[in-house]
Parts: sequence; structure tokens; C-alpha cells
Amino acid sequence: MIIRKERVNDFLNGLRAGYRLYAPVQTQAGPVFAPVNGATGWSWPAGNTLKSAKEVFLPQTETLFTYRTSLDGVQVEEARVEGRVVLLGVRPCDARSLTMLDKVFAGEGVRDPYYTARRENTVVLGLACNEPCGTCFCTSLGGSPFGTAGCDLLWVDLGDRYLVRVLTDRGKALVEGRPEFAPAGDADLAAARELEEGALGRMGTVPVQGVKEKLDRLFADPLWDRVYEKCLGCGTCTYLCPTCHCFDLTDEVIDGLGVRLRTWDACMYPLFTLHASGHNPRPTQKERFRQRIMHKFKYFVDNFRETACVGCGRCIRYCPVNIDIRAVLAEISAG
Amino acid sequence: MGTTEKIREIAAGLLRDGKVDVVIGYGPGTLPLRSTPLFARTVEEAERLIWDATCGNNLAVYLPGRKDRVGIVVKGCDSRAVVQLIHENQIAREQVFVIGVPCAGIIDRRQVEAAVEREIRAAREEGAELVVEGDGWSRRFNREEVLYGACRTCRHNNPVLYDALAGEPLPPRDGGPTLVEIWEKKPAGERRDFILSEMARCIRCYACRNACPMCYCTECFVDSSTPRWLGRATDAGENLFFQIGRVLHLAGRCVACGACSRACPMDIKLGLLLGKMNKDVLELFGHEAGLNPEEPPALNAFRPDDPETFLLGK
Amino acid sequence: MKNPYLPLPMRIEKITVETEDRSLRTFSLSFLNRADAEAFGFVPGQFAEVHVFGQGEAPFGIASSPLVRDRVEFTVNRIPGGVVTTALHNAREGDIVGLRGPLGNGYPVQEFEGKDVVIIGGGFAFTTLRSLTWYILANRERFGKLTVLYGAREPGLLLYKDELAAWQKRDDLELILTVDRGREGWQGKVGVVPAILKEAAPSAANAYAVVCGPPIMIRFTLPVLQELGFPPERVIMSLEMRMKCGLGMCGRCNIGHKYVCKDGPVFTLAELSELPAEY
Repeated sequence: MIIRKERVNDFLNGLRAGYRLYAPVQTQAGPVFAPVNGATGWSWPAGNTLKSAKEVFLPQTETLFTYRTSLDGVQVEEARVEGRVVLLGVRPCDARSLTMLDKVFAGEGVRDPYYTARRENTVVLGLACNEPCGTCFCTSLGGSPFGTAGCDLLWVDLGDRYLVRVLTDRGKALVEGRPEFAPAGDADLAAARELEEGALGRMGTVPVQGVKEKLDRLFADPLWDRVYEKCLGCGTCTYLCPTCHCFDLTDEVIDGLGVRLRTWDACMYPLFTLHASGHNPRPTQKERFRQRIMHKFKYFVDNFRETACVGCGRCIRYCPVNIDIRAVLAEISAG
Repeated sequence: MGTTEKIREIAAGLLRDGKVDVVIGYGPGTLPLRSTPLFARTVEEAERLIWDATCGNNLAVYLPGRKDRVGIVVKGCDSRAVVQLIHENQIAREQVFVIGVPCAGIIDRRQVEAAVEREIRAAREEGAELVVEGDGWSRRFNREEVLYGACRTCRHNNPVLYDALAGEPLPPRDGGPTLVEIWEKKPAGERRDFILSEMARCIRCYACRNACPMCYCTECFVDSSTPRWLGRATDAGENLFFQIGRVLHLAGRCVACGACSRACPMDIKLGLLLGKMNKDVLELFGHEAGLNPEEPPALNAFRPDDPETFLLGK
Repeated sequence: MKNPYLPLPMRIEKITVETEDRSLRTFSLSFLNRADAEAFGFVPGQFAEVHVFGQGEAPFGIASSPLVRDRVEFTVNRIPGGVVTTALHNAREGDIVGLRGPLGNGYPVQEFEGKDVVIIGGGFAFTTLRSLTWYILANRERFGKLTVLYGAREPGLLLYKDELAAWQKRDDLELILTVDRGREGWQGKVGVVPAILKEAAPSAANAYAVVCGPPIMIRFTLPVLQELGFPPERVIMSLEMRMKCGLGMCGRCNIGHKYVCKDGPVFTLAELSELPAEY
């Protein structure tokens, strides 16, 4: 289908009756996903958002339940995830990361009710990347700047109009019968194809072939001594990463009300694995750095036959000491 | 001989003669306007060391607790961190060979990125100019105008401590009013709103803390569980408490290198908070951290005539 | 969907000080809701998150017998700086706490059936072994010879002293107690667990060994088991890791591609040898 750019506002205003809208909102540091009212106050991001779309499904700080205790017992009130959401302008790498988070939080076995509810309530409106960034490497990891995994709709910017690919029933329900849309013609499809080929042609490649098999035997390799050394041990890479999902659970008491909080946490921090006894299974930054790489490129593959990295490039862009995961992968490949 | 060649020569000599085990300097980054810390352990590795206006990291962050003998490339601000760390017994003077670099200022890449509004694919310095290029475009900047604000008014651009100097000392800058001087004149309400809006962005990744050479506590107060000083929730209040705690803990110890601001992925203006604190410490106690190895940090020393203007009733 | 983060409300019915140094206490919890009690079933070796409201949760191996349906017991070591263990040690009988569980896999008791079982415990790690011992005793005819070797630094530091005394009198298990330092009146062995195990030399033929104890004990016990002929597939161990969610999501207890909370805490020595030694 096709929607002309001047009709997008009407479409979004029409959605507001049934959905809350989230879109990339510019901040001093870069765009992040935030609630918006219709088409104003935000813009389709050039490049990618600073923080990934994961925070819409796994917020950095979230109340799981509240409670009040008494002599007789405890009254627990579960936090409810309510309302349908349309998430606008998600790049294909971020959309694809959701399919990986699904395996952890909404897969076989026990499911996380908060994440699962948000996933079920949210329509993901993807935005194809006509101009991938220099730090993008999604195609090396099975993704694509025009990839559809995790999207309910994929929008392709054709200049004065968007080509809209309908990918799921949930996506279909959003646009079906809406007057803003018209059927796509051959010219539209050809224009999108040309943009896709252009985007693919701009993608850098990273040697990830065989990385998993290398990592199967590199746990004790001296290469970790080299690659971790400049790591400061902050959580920037993990917090901005669309697939990193480690979290902490803590209690807060506010005016007698107990609050069970979930907050992001990261394997880069020493406290993450520190036992109360003082023993730490990953005592130095070397083990912690290795854990991050191993988890993405080996352990997750062992468990789900998929690499837990979508090649969005955020960790490369924002690492304060310019640790470049592409270089680390190249070193592993050569190892 | 350029600064890069001079650094390489000094580093190679130190490694060849076995005077140090490692030289920590800068290597080429993988992105435009970026360099990356480089740990050179051989003469060959020393050949990859560089110096340019992207060498922003304060490498003194790698010093606390080291057991080996280390050569380290420092700018003026970084050298103050080395002095302060020696003073605080985090590294022994005889363990460190300080390779000082007179610094003409570091390029604020975010400022450049914001100015071009497009993705930068390459960048280079040409004399006093910075040339940035993208797909089918290029743009020239007067390098001086795209330096970090703190660099433009830097009063310590030459290393205060060095064993070898890679370059000729630069004249001190007279850059006019600092960002702090401008900022602290704003109305209190405006400053409060600004601080809260900055803090609301914080994601508590602790890049600021971990990039700071003076933040070497084995257990940071934010990580303490008994007692737990602050909660794990990421909101403006908790975040502000974290930053206030950090700023106060750095009183008389912050060397104003700006590593925290540069490390912050959320571009929070931490330098303003720390700069204000540094200015207060200077005005109250006449002390600046890391300038004089003989002088104890302001808050480690008591003088009967110390001003007590912060006490009620004074 | 059942919310796996919500705690079951429990009352602390009884607190027993286990050791002379008072650092170990057993908390006997009862269910506030009858339906919870009826739904709660577990395998020895499983654990649960105990929630001290306002302080947080910590994981503890379930120390009671699965056949006791109305109570769940945990023996808790007070760790200096441990928020939840300290809070529990400060708790009083009648206090309300939360419980999430059972979590984890538990001991492979079905595989033990028809086999001899050698239970080897040291110090305060005897908790889930007590649960396992009671389970086997309650289903005695399904198992072969049962040997329990339990050691502590000194007699006063042994857990469950009354039960140990009762077990001593039974003829359907061999209980060997040992301490590093004896004292007057001590009737058991004196010596470290690996040495006593070597001396007792239980048959490895058609047998499983279950080992829980401090790292130093484990390190010296494993070679003895190997000497005795226990294959790594029949040496069962239980790991301790820092945990939060207990559901294999929060990432904290990840070792290699396993999550101790979900895939463990019980592993065979053979399984552990396939994992990185990050525990």
C-alpha cells in the first residue's frame, strides 16, 4: 500500500482513539522512544535512535507490584500493563531484536507477564533504512536494512510517500479500510526495490562466519587479555544494546508502601555476580567483557540457534573508549 | 618532528630499554573524530601510537592499582590526575613514566555532528582547520571553534608533571569567561530546571564514574547495599542524588579533564556541576587538584582560617 | 497467565537456632493460603526465593522433606553484609514473609531409584541433603543402600542435631558424622570429609554420589569419588550463584549457556565439566 506524506498526520490522528503512540522524540543527546500525540513533536529518525526500542517493552525502571504488610498478611497489588500501543519508526535491527527478546521473555516455559503483555498490545511500525550508517552491520548477522522480522508493518520512505508493507494481521488491522492508503503500483515497488539495493550496497561487512565455532574453543584464549584491556566497565554498551536484557529486582519502601522494582542491570558490573560471601565468579573486567561477547555470539546461539546481536552499531558509536565490536569479532575470527 | 613521532620515539625507547612494561597512549579510532586507548607492550606496538585533537580520553583512569611499570601519555588535565593519584597513593611516582603532551584542545565531536546534521564518514586536521567529510559533501571548521568548551578556556594546557615532553610548551590560554562563570550567573530557577532536565536523561550506566581517574573506590556509594544510599530506579531525583554524591566526593580532587562529560552517552553536562564545585573549592580554599604534589587536597587539610560560609549563621 | 514474580504469603511459624555460634537458623514457614499449600510440591534439591518485605529476596535451598506438606523450611546462614539473611535473622516467629518457588530442577531422584545413594555434605550446605535424606527414608524401598556422610568444623556447628541423633539409631541408613576438631564426648569421626570418605569407601557400583559443601571440601572430595570409581555422570552437585528472577531471564546466574536457576542448581559433574568454571 501507499500513503502520501501529507496524509500521515490524518492516519496517526485516527489511531489515537484506540492506541497510545510512541515515536522517536529528539533529546539533547539524540532521539529516544517516547509517548507522542499524533504527528507533531517527533520525527522519523535519521539513522537510529540513541536508546533502542527495547525500553518500550522492558523499561529501564518498572514497578512489578506493590504491597502493604500487616500482622495478618500482605496485600499485593500487581502492576497492570494496559492499553494498546503503536510504536512508530522502529528500524529493522531493533524490530528484529524483539524476536530475540521474545525467546527469553515470551518463549517456551515460564513467560514474563509484563513483557509479554506489552508485546501483545503493541503494533510495531518499522521504518526501512534507505541510508544505513557507517556503524551498521545488520546484514552480517542475518538482518537487512529492509528486514521485516519483528515488524507488523514496514514503511519505506519513497520521498513524497511511504510504501507500506503489511506483515501481520495486527499490522493489517491498523491500515485496513483506512482512507489514507492507496494500493501500491509497480513504480512504487520498483522505487522501493531500488532503495533497498542501494542500502544493501552501502552495508559494511563484518567477518562473523565461524565466530560461534571459534568461541566454542576460545574461552581460555589470551585474546581476551588484549580485547578487554581498555574497557572501563561501564554499562553503556549493554544499556543501549537492543538485545541485552539483564535486570535487577529490588524492594523500595515509599511511605509504607512496598514497591517491587525491576531495573536494567548489566554483566559489565562487578556487583552483577558478586556473592554476599564476597566470592565473585567473574572477578575482573576480562571475565565480564568475555561474558558479554560469549553470551551474544555463543551461549545465545547454543540455546536459540541465533546470534544475540542485530548489528545496530550503538555499542560502537557510544563506547567511551571506542571499543569496536566489529574489531573484536574480526580478532575472534582470526583467533 | 611531530608530536605523534615524538611520542612513538619516547615510547619505543622506554620499551626497548625495559624501563616500562607498557606504554598507555592513543591509537587510531575506528570512527571519524575518535581515537582509542592503546596499550603498547612492544616497540612494534608503539609505532601505532598517535596524537591528534581527538585524543580525549584521560588515560590516568588505567593507573589505580597497577602493579607494573607504566609509561603514560598525558595532556595537561590528565597530568593533574596523575599527580592527584600519586598523592592519593593509588600509584607510586617511580612506577610511572609520564610522557607529557602540550595540548591545543580536544575536538567536541558532538558539536561537529550537530553542526553538519549528517553522518560524518571521515575527518582530518589541516593546520588550524578541521575537515569533515560525508557521502558527497565536505565541510571545514576552524578547529578552535569546535573544541570542548572547557578546552577553549583551559588554563592548564601544558602537563604539570612529566618525565619527557613530546612537543614545545604552549602559551597559556586566556579564553575569557568559562562556561561555569556564564552558567552560575543564571537565575536559580533556571539552573535548577536545567539540572533536573539533564538528570532526567541519565541512564545510570556509570560511564562518567568509570571514565573518571579519581573514581577508583572499590565500592562506590551507589553500589552499597548496607546501607543502601540510593535506589535503583532511574528518575531525575535518584540520578541527581547519584551525581551530587559523585560531585561532592570529587571536591578538591576533580582535575577538570571532562572525561565524565565526554563518556556520557546521554550528553549530560556533568562538567558544569563539577566545574562549579571546582570553582567554589578554589575560591574558598585557594586549591586546585593535581597541581602541586606537595599540597594535600583541600578537603584533606584543615586550617583554622578556612572559610565557613557554608555553615548556618556564619 | 500466572505471574511468576508474585510471592506466596507465608508466616514464620518457628525459628530454630541450629549452631552454637548462632550464625545458622532454620525458618519453618507455613502457608497463609490453604490453596497455596495444596499446590506447592517440590523435589529435593529445588530452591525458593524468600522475600523479606521491604528488604528484597534471596534464594535458599529447601531444607524440609517434600512429604511435609504444610511447612517449608530453610536454613539460613547469616552473612555479614547480606541484606536478606540479616533481615531474616532479625525476624521473629509470627512475621510474614513471601515465597516464590519451587525453582530449579532438584536432584534426579527418579534416576536414584534402585541404586545406592551416597550423600556427602559439609558445613551449612547440608540443607537440601537433609531434604533428600528424608525423601529417601520416606520411600525407602525404592532405593538401595543409603550412606550419609556429614562433616562440620566442630560438633557445635552441625545442623539438625536432633534428627542426626534419630538417624544414628536407624538401621536403614548409614550415618557417618565427622568433625575437623572433636571435643569431649564426641562419638563420631574426627577428620575432614574427603579423608573420611576414603576410609568409608562406599561402593561405586550401581551408586550415585550427591555432594554439597564448601568449595575446599568439594575440591578434595571429587578426586576421592573418582578413585572409588564413581563416574562423573553419577556425581551430583548443586551450585550456588547470585540470582534474582529464578526464571532464567535476569541473566545473573548464567554460566556458559546454562542458567543455574532454571537448568540447575543441580548438575552432574559431567555436565559441569562442559561448562566454563565461572561459579
